[in-house]
Amino acid sequence: MAMMPKRVKYRKFHKGRIHGKATRGNTVAYGEFGLQTLEAGRITAQQIEAGRMAATHYLRREGRVFIRIFPHTSYTGKPLEVRMGKGKGEVVGWIAKVKPGTVLFEIGGVPEETAKAAFSRVAQKMPVMVRFVTRQHTV
Amino acid sequence: MSKVSVIKAEPRSKLGSHSSQKSRKNGMLPGVVYGHKKEAMAISVPAAEFLQMFRHGSHLFELQMGEQTETVLVKAVQYDYLGTNMIHVDFSRVDLTERVKVSVPVILRGTPVGTQSGGVLQQVMMDVEIECVVTDIPEQIRANVSKLGLDESLYTKDLELPAGAKLVDDPEAIVASVSEIAEAVEAAPGEEGAAEPEVISKGKEVEGEEGAEEK
Repeated sequence: MAMMPKRVKYRKFHKGRIHGKATRGNTVAYGEFGLQTLEAGRITAQQIEAGRMAATHYLRREGRVFIRIFPHTSYTGKPLEVRMGKGKGEVVGWIAKVKPGTVLFEIGGVPEETAKAAFSRVAQKMPVMVRFVTRQHTV
Repeated sequence: MSKVSVIKAEPRSKLGSHSSQKSRKNGMLPGVVYGHKKEAMAISVPAAEFLQMFRHGSHLFELQMGEQTETVLVKAVQYDYLGTNMIHVDFSRVDLTERVKVSVPVILRGTPVGTQSGGVLQQVMMDVEIECVVTDIPEQIRANVSKLGLDESLYTKDLELPAGAKLVDDPEAIVASVSEIAEAVEAAPGEEGAAEPEVISKGKEVEGEEGAEEK
């Protein structure tokens, strides 16, 4: 089932614009390998779920997949053949807003080649340009 | 074990992000030297030369600034938002006989026995903090995990530290463990989209509803 918040203060959000670069969540923290976005974008809960399924199906219970993003923001839409106006549409789904540098997924417990192959499948499901990254030792 | 690498450094007179960007464009890496109760000093080192030494495991440097020399240890490095380019480096003044606290990466070796019975090896702790003489800082600590069975863990107290090194981290902390991963339960197709998040109700909404009823 696609991810969504359990409780929210307000159901509908302004669309907003995504500015700047990721200053947090931009390093591999839980696994050994990660998938990092190179551009800003809005990733839907369905796309996150598709990515997760692509990775877990490829790994076949071999390693562990971590999802580093969460769809906190709702988006709305109007039904077909409805005139403009008459208020904001209803909530249709949930999205995660990501900035360049954000690590989207992580994998641990598998060799690098396996993680690369799994992430190449996940990358197909993402609406943003991504790259493969490995954990960096901090001094 | 660490050996002292010699690198030329220049003091930075102009501070701030703008001048730091300029010095990066000129092939220099901005940094700072502090410690030993002396004043902090802004410096810059040749980026390419420093990176080459750093990637080959050098953490102990002798900075040559004209006639002045300082023995320093790399304390912290900052990367850009993508984690590719180094943008700043912190050096801490040290004596060659001084004991320092450093974090050293833990590298796991071998395939655990537990993986044959469905377990997955997970490394929880990537770096371990140790205290040792500055010249004896190991590049990495290797740990053999081939004897780990299912639901067994490797603790920090089990790590083989080099002679003279002392563990700073909690000895009972788990470095790696082999455990079975529970399969995620996939929802039935009809269930999707049925649930909506609960809206935290506010006084305003309640008042509005009451008002509507009165009218």
